[in-house]
Amino acid sequence: MTKNYSCLLGLLLFVFSCTSCSEDDNYVQVKPTPTSPVSLNLESIPYPTLSEYNFFEGEMSDLKPVYGVLPYKITSGLFIDYAKAQTFVWMPKGSKANYVNDHSVLDFPDGAVLITNHYFENVLPKKNRKMIETRLIIKKEGEWVLVNYKWNDDQSEAVYTTEGSFVNVKIEDNNETKAVNYKIPSYNECFTCHNKYDEILPIGPKPQNINEDFSFKDGIKNQLKKWAEFGYLNTSNIPSEIVSVVDWSDISQPLDLRVRSYLDINCAHCHSDKGYCEYAPMRFSFKDTDDFKNIGVGVEHNFELEEGLSHIVAPGKSEESALLFRLKSTLDEYKMPIMGRNLQHKEGVKLIEQWINSLENKIE
Amino acid sequence: MKTKLLFLIICLAPFAIKAQSSSDTCSAADSATHITSGGTYSITSFNGTAPVAGCSSGSTADNGEWFAYTPVNDYQVVISSDISGNNGKDTKLQVYDGSCASLNCLANSDDDGEDVYSRLSVVQFNVEANKTYYIAWDNRWDSSAFDFILTETVQQPISFTEDPRNGGGTVRGAVDMNNDGLDDIVSIVAKNVNDSNVYDINIQEQTGGGSFIGHDYPVSAPYSASWSLAAGDYNGDGYTDLVWGNGSGVNIVKAINSGTDYAIAETQSGIFTQRTNFVDINEDGRLDVFICHDIAPNIYYMNETSGLEYYQGADPNGVPEGLGIYPSGGNYGSVWVDYDNDGDIDMFMAKCGGGEARRTNQLFRNNGNGSYTEVAGAANLADPIQTWSGAWGDYDNDGDMDVFIGGYNGTSHKMMRNDGNGTFTDITPTTNLGFFTYTGIDNVPADFNNDGFIDILSNGNILVNDGNPINMSFTAYTSGVPPQGAIGDLDNDGFLDVVSGSKIYYNNGSTNKYIKIKLNGNGLNKAGIGARIEITTSSGIQIRDVRSGEGFRYMNSLTTHFGLGVDTSVTSVKVYWPSGIVDVVNNLSVNQTITVAEGTTLGTESKTFAQDLTLFPNPAKSTLYVKTKYNLSDAIYTVFDISGKRVLNSKFGRNNTVNVSSLSTGTYFLRVMQDGLSHTQKFIKE
Repeated sequence: MTKNYSCLLGLLLFVFSCTSCSEDDNYVQVKPTPTSPVSLNLESIPYPTLSEYNFFEGEMSDLKPVYGVLPYKITSGLFIDYAKAQTFVWMPKGSKANYVNDHSVLDFPDGAVLITNHYFENVLPKKNRKMIETRLIIKKEGEWVLVNYKWNDDQSEAVYTTEGSFVNVKIEDNNETKAVNYKIPSYNECFTCHNKYDEILPIGPKPQNINEDFSFKDGIKNQLKKWAEFGYLNTSNIPSEIVSVVDWSDISQPLDLRVRSYLDINCAHCHSDKGYCEYAPMRFSFKDTDDFKNIGVGVEHNFELEEGLSHIVAPGKSEESALLFRLKSTLDEYKMPIMGRNLQHKEGVKLIEQWINSLENKIE
Repeated sequence: MKTKLLFLIICLAPFAIKAQSSSDTCSAADSATHITSGGTYSITSFNGTAPVAGCSSGSTADNGEWFAYTPVNDYQVVISSDISGNNGKDTKLQVYDGSCASLNCLANSDDDGEDVYSRLSVVQFNVEANKTYYIAWDNRWDSSAFDFILTETVQQPISFTEDPRNGGGTVRGAVDMNNDGLDDIVSIVAKNVNDSNVYDINIQEQTGGGSFIGHDYPVSAPYSASWSLAAGDYNGDGYTDLVWGNGSGVNIVKAINSGTDYAIAETQSGIFTQRTNFVDINEDGRLDVFICHDIAPNIYYMNETSGLEYYQGADPNGVPEGLGIYPSGGNYGSVWVDYDNDGDIDMFMAKCGGGEARRTNQLFRNNGNGSYTEVAGAANLADPIQTWSGAWGDYDNDGDMDVFIGGYNGTSHKMMRNDGNGTFTDITPTTNLGFFTYTGIDNVPADFNNDGFIDILSNGNILVNDGNPINMSFTAYTSGVPPQGAIGDLDNDGFLDVVSGSKIYYNNGSTNKYIKIKLNGNGLNKAGIGARIEITTSSGIQIRDVRSGEGFRYMNSLTTHFGLGVDTSVTSVKVYWPSGIVDVVNNLSVNQTITVAEGTTLGTESKTFAQDLTLFPNPAKSTLYVKTKYNLSDAIYTVFDISGKRVLNSKFGRNNTVNVSSLSTGTYFLRVMQDGLSHTQKFIKE
């Protein structure tokens, strides 16, 4: 999907004209620029506790960002056993990210921090919110560092951890009770999805994944525009149109775009060149899946799975498709994604099933 | 899946359309003229009753068409719609035996075409003369008219009969658990406790002849056996213990109370378990545990008197250099094998995923003193071909272990012949394996047809060794063979069977002979894991290593099986124990299982070797010189301490010297061995 980006250019013109005005006008009142209270000393990371970074004000578990910490949303969200995610970005004063292309992570400056909080809503019996983990990706000397914090039981602090662990919660979701054995990944597991031939990379903040409106404190605005406005994004080389994913759960969008968006965020970090599972034939990045062959349509599957499966995607035959079998399975040896999912994602399974059955029963 | 051979047969078959037309029901077909020979048959329209008897998954079709088929001889039969004229069509086929009132599913095929179109159907199965089979096509996907071909050929030299497996869970092992000499079936069964799964053991104990008694053993281990299971009696109580794991951790579970119960010995979270093994890594006579880690350096537990000690990577108290220490892992399949015939066990590591440095296969040579050196490059085995497992066996019976290395998805398999000098040569193009491109994760050696040459179970295909010791070659059987599974003798008939999923695949066997050898070790390593067994018959020599855990996922029998072809006796069985002890048993009859107890045949060898051997200086401080008129370049020396424990082991190579600097002061015995002949002499280290 291509989203028009001209509104951003409009903004630039606006900024430019304001600047022009101010040069001519001696009356302009200069507000003191607020300073972000975030504390980040790259020599000392990872801090032992999350609170030391000072990303949030008030009760930390309310995730109310301080000045300089911008909330953002990934258009098509990753499935993490029905946990919710809230993401934020912070960069040191005076530094900004650069656009590379639509489908690559923005080129962030040293000191940039991507903050992803995972929590559950409607946790039984009280139906309250429970923070589970906060994952940071911090850019230091040109390389990304993966850091994870596990929230304590009284939700007052999150403590640095490299060990994986399980958190059991029962939630009410979609009018049913779900028992979740949520896995906080170990460092090695974080690394597995976040590396390309051992180079650590974030997954979410690619232009294609964040090119949408977001309700900021001061109003609704395109996220890239907001980043630019805040000084977090260099707009000089951003094209007017960005090929963007859609929200996979938005039924007003075309089915194939929803499927491609779902596969991108859930599968593409491993199933792409230099990814953990590059040796399998699938290429699930949004940029690659306009060719359905990269999703495995009509491609015979090549793994020891259960009987009756013929192709990765058997067009028109979801029950013979290894892709759906793996998305449905909760067994370690079959399930996909291999990490981060222990429950079946019913809504995702339904989407993929619907799409496979909608394909013409024909192999090219 | 089909072989090229099969394709040729179909191409050569007569193409005249046969008269028998399809019927609307099974019973109508039974009353009509039966098909009695190969040929091309037609479905002109779908208006009969669709088959419903549970032969295939998925929803039922609207209509079906039926044929009855009664062959005049025993045949291997192929029914295929994958023929010219059917391009673009989508057929679905079920084949039954039994009666129309009680149909028994024999085979089914939906999208198995390979030659004309992938949505066409192909099945292969064996038939008996004068028995009736029912062929039903349905229009689940497509109602077009089409022709199909039925081809009768002589039955392939290897065939299996399917039987249901009891016990549920995930089947992983075909191994003797209760020490009665019969292979049992091990599966790991999930149990939901407080909304999380924990895992118990089910053992189907073989009582002989394909009968089993099932037992559930509650263990509540935290991790499933998703990725692999291995078996071995690490504490020497005579009952087999287990190690298994999944992407989150690993469990070591031991037999207790004389094998009447099982209990968790160790569990460790944060391990992405791949292949597991029991193996005596440091050669102290005690089985250790090795665990491939997918995303970090490998794990091992050293079996100390204080218990199992956990190590990861290089550790001065464990393996000083580690055994695969790439930071982000990529370790999929470890096979412990004595590749250089120096009497101690080395390790091949199949590696997959990531950049070339992460995914290049490794070979760890045992230095004989508890340390290992990575030598894959020098050995010509450093392949970056996405390997999940390598199948190690002496495929040409020349006395050293060759290896079939699995590729994955677009990378070819490789057959590497052991040159006998620590290096390997790629002979794939001349082995007839070049066309075999069905790749996957599990490659395991086993002599399925008991012809005395090791075959390979490769991703649910059997690569049958053609038995040419000079120019090794194989024939791939891709139909009518079991899927990948655990290999053992599950009916105790001397032919290797496979258990996989919900079925046991019994090898139908032949008149070929066999011998099976069960080991009874002296110390804690009762099953003699790591031992080399060598047998001599009139056909020559065969060798095996006793291994716990090979291929990728399953645990095969610890009873060593040799096919013997037409040989009617075994001249000798030689066991090279991990302790350094060698046992020899002579003149054995075939078709039996023998037990060799460690050290019980010592001294049976009458011939001597290197009688003139002298050692100097004696006492020695750092270098001990060995003087003899014999050429020792291929000889192995082993140093035992006064208690009989092996402390050094190596080949001499170019120099007739032994570096004794690592030994503590005391009295030792040096044994020099070549071609099974040995000479032992005492020396003192000062």
